[in-house]
Amino acid sequence: MIEYLVFAAVFGLLLLGLHRKVIARVQMRPGPPVWQEILHALKFSFKSTWVPKTASATLYVGVVLVGIGIWSAALFIVLAGESILILFAIYMLHKVVEHGFGLSSGSPYGKFGGVRSVISAASEIPLFVTVAAIYLFTGSLLLADITAYQAIHGPFLLIAPPVAIAMYLVILSKLPYGPFSIVESKELVSGYKTEHFGVWRAGISVIDGLKTFVLLYAFVAIFVGAVPFWAALVIMTVILVSLSFVCAITPMLSPFDSVTIQGLITGVMLAYVGYLWWVMP
Amino acid sequence: MSEIGGSDLFVLEFGDILHYYTPYTTTLFVLALIFTGLAILSRPEGQVDIAFGGDAYYAKETAVSEMRFRRFMTIACGLATMGAMGSGDIFNFTLFASLVGITNVGIVAAVKSRHVLDAAYEYGIVAMVATLPLFGGAALILATTGTLSIPALAAGGFAVPPIGKALLALGVIGEGMAPFYAAKAEMFRAPGAPYVIMCSLSSLLIFLRVVEIAITI
Repeated sequence: MIEYLVFAAVFGLLLLGLHRKVIARVQMRPGPPVWQEILHALKFSFKSTWVPKTASATLYVGVVLVGIGIWSAALFIVLAGESILILFAIYMLHKVVEHGFGLSSGSPYGKFGGVRSVISAASEIPLFVTVAAIYLFTGSLLLADITAYQAIHGPFLLIAPPVAIAMYLVILSKLPYGPFSIVESKELVSGYKTEHFGVWRAGISVIDGLKTFVLLYAFVAIFVGAVPFWAALVIMTVILVSLSFVCAITPMLSPFDSVTIQGLITGVMLAYVGYLWWVMP
Repeated sequence: MSEIGGSDLFVLEFGDILHYYTPYTTTLFVLALIFTGLAILSRPEGQVDIAFGGDAYYAKETAVSEMRFRRFMTIACGLATMGAMGSGDIFNFTLFASLVGITNVGIVAAVKSRHVLDAAYEYGIVAMVATLPLFGGAALILATTGTLSIPALAAGGFAVPPIGKALLALGVIGEGMAPFYAAKAEMFRAPGAPYVIMCSLSSLLIFLRVVEIAITI
């Protein structure tokens, strides 16, 4: 089991490094090496670590462990073909974890990062709509049933493209340096991560790596279907590179605009699912 | 019964009322348990604020009496949330959801700040008004089907009115603080991260549970 976790965290960090590299090359910069995020995680693991004097110490440390725990659980849910409703719940609960990171230190930068994390909750609703739309087709939310449905009827990417686009936008809203990355905006230093350093920051890197891997792997499983593991990794990389292009050419939106656009996307998706519900037998 | 949250792992029967735990509700229950534990063990942070007009900053301190009351409310909120996660009866679920609303108000109303109190007052009104659709939705489902047992409704044979489900979801959104106040500056003037986080967590968890109930029945 542990080997899956280590692989997912390392591959996820490698994807995040690739993300930075692609953005840099599109913007005509050399950019960092692709393994930079892995080096970051290793570097932070051996740096001096303590807890700020103003922090709520137990929560400050505990929330890092909760973050690693929920994304580890999400990984095994996806690998075991369990209910995607649990994946949806974990994705939403990640907001509470970010909120916890931000508030627990007492820092105003962390606090406002946490506040922005809560107000960007609009980005979660398209994921819920995705879940609802898939249920209309399959009558089940078990990932194993969803892949079995696709084996007969073809990939969901072709059956219901707007649903795939909604989940693509959900992943985009979670990636750093994207149009919706308001929680880590530079005017907040590093947002909710500002006061977590040393081994705590290494823990956050592991969370980011696992989260990136799980979301992309879930996208492949839900919208492409059962493919060999190596093929899933290739497709995940292609999807990530496409997301990096979007991030490279799109400015970061203001918090208000970010929430407004995510709200509009949600409205469109709700209308689409309403249409599906109306026309489907 | 539709297994959208996975197969039942454990069923706890109280006569004709039961609590059931699927992988989905167990995940939510465990999260509520962990954050309740963190609230019990954590001391509040010293929230740092900048004094405008200079380079000075100060850290807010939380008085022991205030901390004790808010911690009590947080534990009560955690217990109510855990109850709502496993409930197999819509009436029990609505009771737990309204208890979450009451304790959320308590968590923030104990803060001695005019801005925070204003927000808590407004939230209290919303939570109170939200009990109407919450219990109204449950009443509508009971009047139409004759039962509020989730496994019985999920077994099929009942035409659960969509408006009943919609009212139930609306009531839960109103009881949970997060959609209305969690992002307001007034709320974040309140120090005490372990307690404020419980407001967000409980709101989110009861919302996630009502989604499962609405799809299941």
